[in-house]
Amino acid sequence: MGVEQVNVLDGIKSAAREVLKENKAEVILGFTKGTLSNKCTPFFARTSQDINNLVWESGCNLNLAKYLLKTKKKAAIIVKGCDSRSIINLIKEKQIAREEIVIIGAYCPSTEGCPHCHYPDPVIADILISQKSEEIEKDSFNVNNENSLNKEFSTDQKIDYPDIEAFSAIPREQRKDYIYQEVSKCIRCYACRNVCPACYCKECFVEENLPGWLGKTTGIADNMIFHLTRAIHLAGRCVDCGACTRACPAGVNLSILNRKLAKDVKVYFSLETGMDLKEELALNEFRQDDPQPFLIGGGKDG
Amino acid sequence: MDDRKIIAFLCNWCSYAGADLAGISRFQYPPNLRIIRVPCSGRVDPLMIFEALKNADGVLVAGCHPGDCHYTSGNYVARRKFALVKSLLKFIGLEEERVQFDWISAAEGKDFAVTATKVANDVNKLEKWDRWGWSR
Repeated sequence: MGVEQVNVLDGIKSAAREVLKENKAEVILGFTKGTLSNKCTPFFARTSQDINNLVWESGCNLNLAKYLLKTKKKAAIIVKGCDSRSIINLIKEKQIAREEIVIIGAYCPSTEGCPHCHYPDPVIADILISQKSEEIEKDSFNVNNENSLNKEFSTDQKIDYPDIEAFSAIPREQRKDYIYQEVSKCIRCYACRNVCPACYCKECFVEENLPGWLGKTTGIADNMIFHLTRAIHLAGRCVDCGACTRACPAGVNLSILNRKLAKDVKVYFSLETGMDLKEELALNEFRQDDPQPFLIGGGKDG
Repeated sequence: MDDRKIIAFLCNWCSYAGADLAGISRFQYPPNLRIIRVPCSGRVDPLMIFEALKNADGVLVAGCHPGDCHYTSGNYVARRKFALVKSLLKFIGLEEERVQFDWISAAEGKDFAVTATKVANDVNKLEKWDRWGWSR
């Protein structure tokens, strides 16, 4: 823990104390030391003493937004970039009320674990403790506002998914083998779903019985359908926080499907999820001139 | 090769009526299609496409042309989903011809026959589908 992070932690603690003192929230959602070194565990601080136990270090890589969904009380939450984007989506989906929560934002302490992360800074915050630089923030908002409908299939230079592009470039059979191999590891524990802040359905499609949409076996076919449908359900909603991949006990590469769809949403609809409270979610709206490359003949006849 | 099954999700208002017109007009098309009538192309959940591929070799989804939806915007909503589904299936290594989408109106009986023939021929030309790895 560097000197700088200690200062950030002090800032977080004093902000949290202030919030409790002024009765803006009854509970502070944050992290405390876990039982394993370098793994922090979510922590609900209710008193001033509890706040002493808060930490802000590289092990704080869970997505705390998930816990907001289960908190009935007025809560304050300490967020990094991905948590804040999840919160934006949850507010848009009317799962939490903006006025019921206090957001304490700080620059992400665990960036090294997420090589593709562009938003370690909180996107939304009532109290901002630290951020990396103004420039990054400005840049990200430009991407968001840019209207690129006219050049729908041109490769936008700002689209930055090198891993996805590299995977798309390898031969089809190898891609299929890799995905089959990854997905066949799955033991269907649904840890990925349980940890995901975007998965809050009261009854998930995997548990529906009438009709039983999805087989319950860990056979490759059921696993494939589960993972594809899961990815589609998160299309335009996944903020790529990586919580599912970290939670997976079988080491399935879950993020490859999520990131592929995030890329497509950006290419087709020029949307990036969780950046703006006013923007609609990609699959909740439509435009008359949405691209339709999926049609027979490439959709030229419209 | 002719025993390959293709599940066709056709919207009640346009494409199903288009298929009907193809029948009435005596346009020939291959018998590989198994038609499932859905209220709207917006009803076609991607999960239904994935599940269909467990037991069929191909899937065709057809609905009203954009702007002509019986429910005003069902196919616009479907269009965004389909763009993502098609791209995802290609990404994970499915042949592009395995799952196809088209807009067919109630007046386009001929177009339905042409599309059905094209999809059936495409799927027949593909190597045998492993049904999501079941028959590997």
